Amino acid sequence: MSTENVIEVKNLTMEYSTRKGNVSAVDNVSFSIKRGQALGLVGESGCGKTSIAKSLLKLLPDNAMIQQGQIVLNGKDMVPLPEEEMRKHRWSEISMVFQAAMNAFNPVYTVGDQIIEAIETHLPDVSEKDARVKIENLFRMVGLAPEMVDRYPHEYSGGMRQRAVIAMALSCDPDIIIADEPTTALDVIVQDSILKEITTLQDRLNMSMVYISHDVAVIAEVSDRVGVMYAGRMVELADTEEIFIRPIHPYTYALMQSFPSVTGPKRELVALPGEPPDLLHPPKGCRFHPRCPNRIEKCDQEQPEWKDYGDNHFCACWNPMEIN
Amino acid sequence: MWSYIGKRIVQMFITLLLFQIATYILIDLQPGDVTDLLIGNPDITAAERARIAADLGLDGPLPSRIWTYLTNFYTGNLGVSMQQYPRPVSEILMTRLPRTFTLFMAATILSFWLGYIAGKFLAWKRGGAWEYASTITGVTLFTIFTPLLAYILLWLFARQLDSWISDTFGIDFDLPISKFNTPSLWRRAPYDTNTVFSWMNWNFFAIVMIILIALIVSNYIPRRYRPALRIGSVVLSIGGSLIWWAFISGVGLYAWDIVKHLFLPILTLTLISFGGNMLLTRTSMLETLREDYIETARAKGLPEGVIRNRHAARNAVLPVWTALVFSLSNTISGGIITETVFSWPGIGATLVQSVSVSDFAVAMGALTLIGIMTLIGHLIVDIGYVFLDPRIRIH
Ligand SMILES: Nc1ncnc2c1ncn2[C@@H]1O[C@H](COP(=O)(O)OP(=O)(O)O)[C@@H](O)[C@H]1O
Ligand code: SF4
Ligand SMILES: [Mg+2]
Repeated sequence: MSTENVIEVKNLTMEYSTRKGNVSAVDNVSFSIKRGQALGLVGESGCGKTSIAKSLLKLLPDNAMIQQGQIVLNGKDMVPLPEEEMRKHRWSEISMVFQAAMNAFNPVYTVGDQIIEAIETHLPDVSEKDARVKIENLFRMVGLAPEMVDRYPHEYSGGMRQRAVIAMALSCDPDIIIADEPTTALDVIVQDSILKEITTLQDRLNMSMVYISHDVAVIAEVSDRVGVMYAGRMVELADTEEIFIRPIHPYTYALMQSFPSVTGPKRELVALPGEPPDLLHPPKGCRFHPRCPNRIEKCDQEQPEWKDYGDNHFCACWNPMEIN
Repeated sequence: MWSYIGKRIVQMFITLLLFQIATYILIDLQPGDVTDLLIGNPDITAAERARIAADLGLDGPLPSRIWTYLTNFYTGNLGVSMQQYPRPVSEILMTRLPRTFTLFMAATILSFWLGYIAGKFLAWKRGGAWEYASTITGVTLFTIFTPLLAYILLWLFARQLDSWISDTFGIDFDLPISKFNTPSLWRRAPYDTNTVFSWMNWNFFAIVMIILIALIVSNYIPRRYRPALRIGSVVLSIGGSLIWWAFISGVGLYAWDIVKHLFLPILTLTLISFGGNMLLTRTSMLETLREDYIETARAKGLPEGVIRNRHAARNAVLPVWTALVFSLSNTISGGIITETVFSWPGIGATLVQSVSVSDFAVAMGALTLIGIMTLIGHLIVDIGYVFLDPRIRIH
């Protein structure tokens, strides 16, 4: 693992404007990912994970606006780039495995044709023949029969389609791949095998990855580093082992508690009371304060600072869990 | 695939039989028959009229008359016209069929294609004055009373625009407003109008086939050559035909005369279904644009045009293609009116005219022919769908 950062996100803030007002979906989020590193983003549904993923590709709906921040990809800030420029960086440098992969393929073209068109767009020097060979190799790599290249999406099962989506994401040799809940829609057994496939590939190709899930167990399995998201903010960021042994933020702690341990014996499931806030009107101060057991006086007034706890462990909390 | 088509053809045949029987009964329910034309003739008594009716087989029971009609029909005998006695109905219909066929084909292709292009761009670039203007135009065209549209176009093109062109450019375009040719011009012609027109028909048919085959073949050649083959087939077939007619055929002037006569009827019939096709494409395209695979296409960094045409519009066309079945009946009723308004001597005008003089055999023949055209139209739409949507292809 080199020390070079493939992507650096600095103070990213993104809002959706709606009829009822602005939705603060991503608020001042920063992180960076080294080559070959996998960052897991975890948090309950609605806390802005998908919004971050789409911001990274600048694949946002019309009502979304990046208010501030930088997305430095291979040394170049993507935020000010016009759409036509941005388009060239997509897939060739940063690609994505979508949440709803079932319909990620156009039903009227073969899967192979839809992968070839990406290669054709970004690697114009690769001949059609070489592109085909490349796709067949990718298919073998993700566990699909090479003959499937010429099949239509409706001839694939759910799990096969997800594998094909992964092959497609790898087709232009991106530096970083974003996987947004890639296994959530699949049944558990398929989920597991695809998860293994993804980690193996990521290691083998020494590729960087952002892996998004609401499932702590999955995040533990795939990531080298974990960012915990709550209500549009990143509340804690640390290496995987570190964060599981020593969660600092009360939300992280609760999240770990509410999932059975991945490695050790099953812990008791402690349900997190309450729900994430409506991001149209996020709570003042710390956004977690309405649900927080550690809450102190200034929590609902002042936004907690992003503090360094050593060992590359960061957290934003006025009254962190006991650190022992 | 072939067994599917075979099954469809058997179905079509049964439908046609039922259609013929129903049409026969409906026409039979109309008061009066062809002998009524003789009422005013003092030389023919009521008894004589009854004898003529009996001679013509008009007094038999309905089922036996239907049976006679059908057995005659399927042995190639469609009867004779009473009005143009004794000209066989099949001959009348065969001279007129190509005119209607061309009118319908041209209008259907044009309205589909133009509606598709317009709807596609409307959905792609939303908002603004364009959206308002075209939506209002679309709804107007979709709901307008066809004869009114025909007369508006007549007034607009043949009168306003024509005089404007001749005032401004000094060219007398003289857009004809009725009939099939200009008799004074054709008096010196080396061929008669039907002959030249049949060449034009074959040419038109050839262009459609060349483009269709090129489109199908283009899916099986290396991707790099696909656009060249597609665009090339369109440019070469249409350009080549134009050059042939203008410089080689020697009858370019006469063909141009027919084209001028075709202009307003085709325009009217095109506009009748254009509005519906445009609105439907737009709605369907807006829906397609929300699909996940469009987001995937964006994420892949494909150029705008590719996302719009290859991904969004290609899927948006499916429901519009299916709806062709419905717009077909629209085209046929509109076609009958259009032919009548412009005195275009096709099947539709023949039908109206024969009904007004109780020329039973001709009316029956024209209706049957319209029925057959509709059924073939349905078959073409169904087969086309199999090509357009791989999900229903039978393996
Ligand atoms: N297109 C949009 N317009 C307005 N609000 C949106 C839009 N997309 C997402 N949101 C809101 O942004 C917040 C974050 O959503 P999302 O990024 O999808 O969260 P996650 O992926 O963590 O579940 C949610 O409150 C959601 O309602
Ligand atoms: S800042 Fe206060 S409310 Fe927020 S998590 Fe820490 S203790 Fe809880
Ligand atoms: Mg999400």
